[in-house]
Amino acid sequence: MINLLSRTIMMGTPLLFGALAEVIAERTGMMVTAIEGIFLMGAWAGFVGGYLSGSLIVGFLSAMLAGLLVAGLYGWICIYLKQHQVVTGVAINLLVAGLCSFLYRVIFGVPITPLTVSPLATIPIPLLSEIPLLGPILFNQTILTYIIYFLAPLSYFMLYKTSMGLTIRSAGENPEAVDVAGINVLTVRFLTVLLAGVMGGVAGAFYSIGFLGMFTTNIIGGRGWIAFAICFLGNWNPKGAVIGTLAFGFAEAIAIYMQSIGNSALFPNELFIALPYIMTIVLTISRKSFNVPAKLGVPYLKEN
Amino acid sequence: MATAFFELRGISKYFAKVIANQDVSFSIQRGEVLALLGENGAGKSTIMKILYGLYKADEGKLLKDGREIKIDSPKEAMELGISMIQQHFSLVPAHTVTDNIILGNVHGIIDHKLFREEIKRLAELYGFELNPDDFIRDLAVGVQQKVEILKALYQKTNLLIMDEPTAVLTPQEAENLMGFVRDFTAQGNSVIFITHKLKEVMSVADRIIVMRAGRVFGDIKRAETNELELSKLMIGRDLNWVTKEDRQESIDQEVRLEIQQVTLQEKTGVPALKDISLTLHKGEILGIAGVSGNGQQELCEIVCGAILPTKGKILLDGEDITERKIRARIDLGIGYVPADRSSDGMIMDMSIAENMLLKSSYAKKWQKRGFIDKQKLNQYTWQEIQDYSIKAPSPETIARGLSGGNQQKVVLAREVDNGEKVIVFDQPTRGLDLGAVNHVHQVILQERAKGKSVLLVSTELAEIFALSDRIAILYKGEIQGVFNSAELTTEKIGLLMAGFREREVKSDAG
Amino acid sequence: MQAKLRDLLITNILAIVLGIVASGLMLLFLGKNPVSAYSVLITSVVRDSYTFADIFVKATPLMFTALAFAFTYKANLYNIGAQGQFYIGAVIAAASSLWLQNILPGGLVLMITLLLTMVGGGLWGAFIGFVKARYNSNEFLVSMMSTYVALAIMNYLLRTFLIETKAEYPQTDALAASVWLPRIIPGTRLHIGFVLAVLACVGVWVLLYKTPLGYRIRAVGYNAGAAEMSGINAKKLYILAFFISGALAGAAGFTEVNGVQHMLVQGFNPDLGAAGIGIAILANGNPIGIIFAAILFGALKVGGTIMGQMSGIPSSIIELMQGFVMVFVILSYFVRTWLENNREKRKLQKAVAK
Ligand SMILES: Nc1ncnc2c1ncn2[C@@H]1O[C@H](COP(=O)(O)OP(=O)(O)O)[C@@H](O)[C@H]1O
Ligand SMILES: [Mg+2]
Repeated sequence: MINLLSRTIMMGTPLLFGALAEVIAERTGMMVTAIEGIFLMGAWAGFVGGYLSGSLIVGFLSAMLAGLLVAGLYGWICIYLKQHQVVTGVAINLLVAGLCSFLYRVIFGVPITPLTVSPLATIPIPLLSEIPLLGPILFNQTILTYIIYFLAPLSYFMLYKTSMGLTIRSAGENPEAVDVAGINVLTVRFLTVLLAGVMGGVAGAFYSIGFLGMFTTNIIGGRGWIAFAICFLGNWNPKGAVIGTLAFGFAEAIAIYMQSIGNSALFPNELFIALPYIMTIVLTISRKSFNVPAKLGVPYLKEN
Repeated sequence: MATAFFELRGISKYFAKVIANQDVSFSIQRGEVLALLGENGAGKSTIMKILYGLYKADEGKLLKDGREIKIDSPKEAMELGISMIQQHFSLVPAHTVTDNIILGNVHGIIDHKLFREEIKRLAELYGFELNPDDFIRDLAVGVQQKVEILKALYQKTNLLIMDEPTAVLTPQEAENLMGFVRDFTAQGNSVIFITHKLKEVMSVADRIIVMRAGRVFGDIKRAETNELELSKLMIGRDLNWVTKEDRQESIDQEVRLEIQQVTLQEKTGVPALKDISLTLHKGEILGIAGVSGNGQQELCEIVCGAILPTKGKILLDGEDITERKIRARIDLGIGYVPADRSSDGMIMDMSIAENMLLKSSYAKKWQKRGFIDKQKLNQYTWQEIQDYSIKAPSPETIARGLSGGNQQKVVLAREVDNGEKVIVFDQPTRGLDLGAVNHVHQVILQERAKGKSVLLVSTELAEIFALSDRIAILYKGEIQGVFNSAELTTEKIGLLMAGFREREVKSDAG
Repeated sequence: MQAKLRDLLITNILAIVLGIVASGLMLLFLGKNPVSAYSVLITSVVRDSYTFADIFVKATPLMFTALAFAFTYKANLYNIGAQGQFYIGAVIAAASSLWLQNILPGGLVLMITLLLTMVGGGLWGAFIGFVKARYNSNEFLVSMMSTYVALAIMNYLLRTFLIETKAEYPQTDALAASVWLPRIIPGTRLHIGFVLAVLACVGVWVLLYKTPLGYRIRAVGYNAGAAEMSGINAKKLYILAFFISGALAGAAGFTEVNGVQHMLVQGFNPDLGAAGIGIAILANGNPIGIIFAAILFGALKVGGTIMGQMSGIPSSIIELMQGFVMVFVILSYFVRTWLENNREKRKLQKAVAK
């Protein structure tokens, strides 16, 4: 059980990176539909950087850069060229999928056994990790977990208590008000998308070098979309994102656990693999009210 | 003359499909109220957005105190002491008054308490009743405008630009606003007051710039002109107004539509309409006056069946149609010209012909063996284009490319045909130029002459008075009273629109 | 108007060329000469009829998934779950064929199977439309998620009920030749499914632009508010549009299983949905345009595969080409608007200057 909960926190970590990034960007009106591609590119770059340099730090830095580039392309097309967010996201995700497997091949050829790096180690926090029950669950995690649970309240504070947050929230509700107030809406949107790229890159790298220690082309397998969904279900709020993340992390932890004990006829593995996705569908149906940012997904056009 | 406070010289602005401003030059002095007068689409908002840094001019330059300046963003405009209240308010409905006012004016961590107090003080200073913690979405438009003004004042403004500020106010509220403008300029500040209403110009302006089709057609001192001259400059020709004499005064007494004690409960629990009873006769125009947002749209939608009332009944020719939904009501002969034509009335990306089909896509008359009878539809549309003198080369022209007036004529043509018995007009002339307004008024009167019943909702009192046989006043979802139009004065109707009851008005005005 | 059409053709062609060039440049990383790789590709694609016909074989399911996206797109809905609806169709096609092939004559089995795949894919899609209409769920999210669920279902069935008799790999037994879709050109893999797909494109075009129902769907897509205000029930149309969309994607499962694979294999055709979206965008949502755009993507697929076989270029070059083409096509939308606006502006300025 402790193991399961500890896994929940761990598997939730990248999702929370993605979901928080998505929350901040969507509050300005930008759906980052390229999130799946950002995750994948992050996973790829993290692995490549980490493997070639032998340093996980370099790996994560490359992942951030890669995420930034993908997000930059996405942001440029959607914000400055005012193209469609859903359509552009789909295109970029496809392109990134091609790029990652192609470039992996370019760099590593066709290795006979899968290449691996040793993944991120957990860092038990002195004293705190000794607490019975809670200690091993909460305080024996990787550094990324600690970082994101530090960033989550910080982003809440930023969104609701600072001028930056006010600008971000206003940009998604009524970009014209922001423009009239003398703030460049497009810049605000672009910067949050870039931030989403950096955070999404780290999230992606978590799967390759933070956890598995290797890269495969289907390593992300829709988890970017899960982060996207968590942002929706968490009502575009960092608090909601944390709760949603724990729920999805738990689902994923169960899936991994069930797979490890083998198949049963009643509860096949596939059910658990599909669980997070089924959960999303059920939750979108059962959730009553959503505080969708009023201008979510709408490009800001001043002149036409 | 002293050097002008601000001056615009030879400004031109091209949008993709229109020339919004062409070689516009004028200046504004300190302490002056300058009125910018012109019809809808004359380019007033555009030229002011250029001064405010929202748009970039294609040609021309800006000067302050005789020196050339560049204003590339609203930020730079604000630093020069310019504020602008947009025609369509730029407030965030989901945020509080405080958050809206401080947006862009604060840095770092926000001390809400401090700002709340500051705003409260500022509001008191100008005699505005405002709660800094209210959400914008809960405020009436008149109050929202006060928020906009405070926002401007909060930035220490010397030049305040107001884009059509009275459009959403009651006559009394408008009067108060004029008072504010006079006080504000008395302190040496300047105001540019955009409007298309002649009366306001004459009452508040020191000097008047008249714009037409993107150009300046007059730069006159108020004392040296009159309404007639201004209107000619503004329109560029004389207009034959539809007048009372054109109307027949007789009202057919037969009842057509009855609204009986209708209440509409909104989701939040507050009634959008409260216990409304109205009777509409054959061949009658019933005007509904009121400040917008007092339940007008709900009333219209209840009549045409887009929403069903929580309580009460609706009868058409004595038959209970309360439960009939929108499609059934269309078939019963109720037409509806909605206030917001681009969101409710037409499909901008479809052709005129397709827009004509919008309400009768189920009807067999436009079908041939299950397919759309395009030939017949096009013939019909072409006929309507001629009848209503819609400026369009063919029935296949996409609606978006038409001017606002021509788009409105398309909706009008369709609804006049659909509404064989009752036609609901919600703000049928909003945003149209005067020529188009006149045309719409003629159509409404013609339909009345044919014996149709007309429900005319309008926030323009002049329109209500010009057309209605009887007038009902709507305030916060309630009917304040129904009057023969001769019984009402502007002052009395203004008080009723502001929520005073008939009794109170009588004793006040009497 | 003429200038607009010219822009459309030029920018689209340019987008395709740029997409192919960009992927060619990527080949340099592998130390391959893109010019020779592409010329090998082109000559080999047209060298024998088998390969050439394969372009149309590949285009067949793409037409269906592109139509699936385009159809809901017309109603301003995003069905990005065509991949999942395709999986459902494929599973049903395999199950129905295997079950009926020994009971009924082949032709009849094919007809029943087509019907079942369309109904199955359609219902899977209609569910998305239903939750959109009834609970105002975000159809984009739900359709995306439903794909992963469909994939899990397919994998589960391939591991259990549908697994081959040998029970070695997660795949079904081969279908009997009687339930294969007939070939239309002997010596190639081109089957009658291609004709079905083209007919579907034409049919969808007629439905959308010539019938009252299609008119209503487009009206709801452009402006649901105005449509509702005109007595059109948008919610009903959401469900219907998603049903039709899902049915189209489901049909792709039928043509792939009965026409090409003749069995169901785990993990086949994983990018039909995404490529379908690209095709729909390239064709600007026009069903007739989809025919040509799908053939282009089919050619990219066949070409990419040949490149892989001939010179050790990884098959991910296909995804790369598709991805680059899609991104450039999106950019071409921007370029067209820009050209159009500039043209109008110049016209105005000229008029003033006179
Ligand atoms: N952002 C814009 N893009 C394109 N055309 C515009 C835009 N804003 C205004 N226009 C057009 O410019 C002309 C002048 O508009 P505007 O300045 O709003 O007039 P006014 O304020 O006098 O009613 C109109 O024809 C209008 O359609
Ligand atoms: Mg204006």
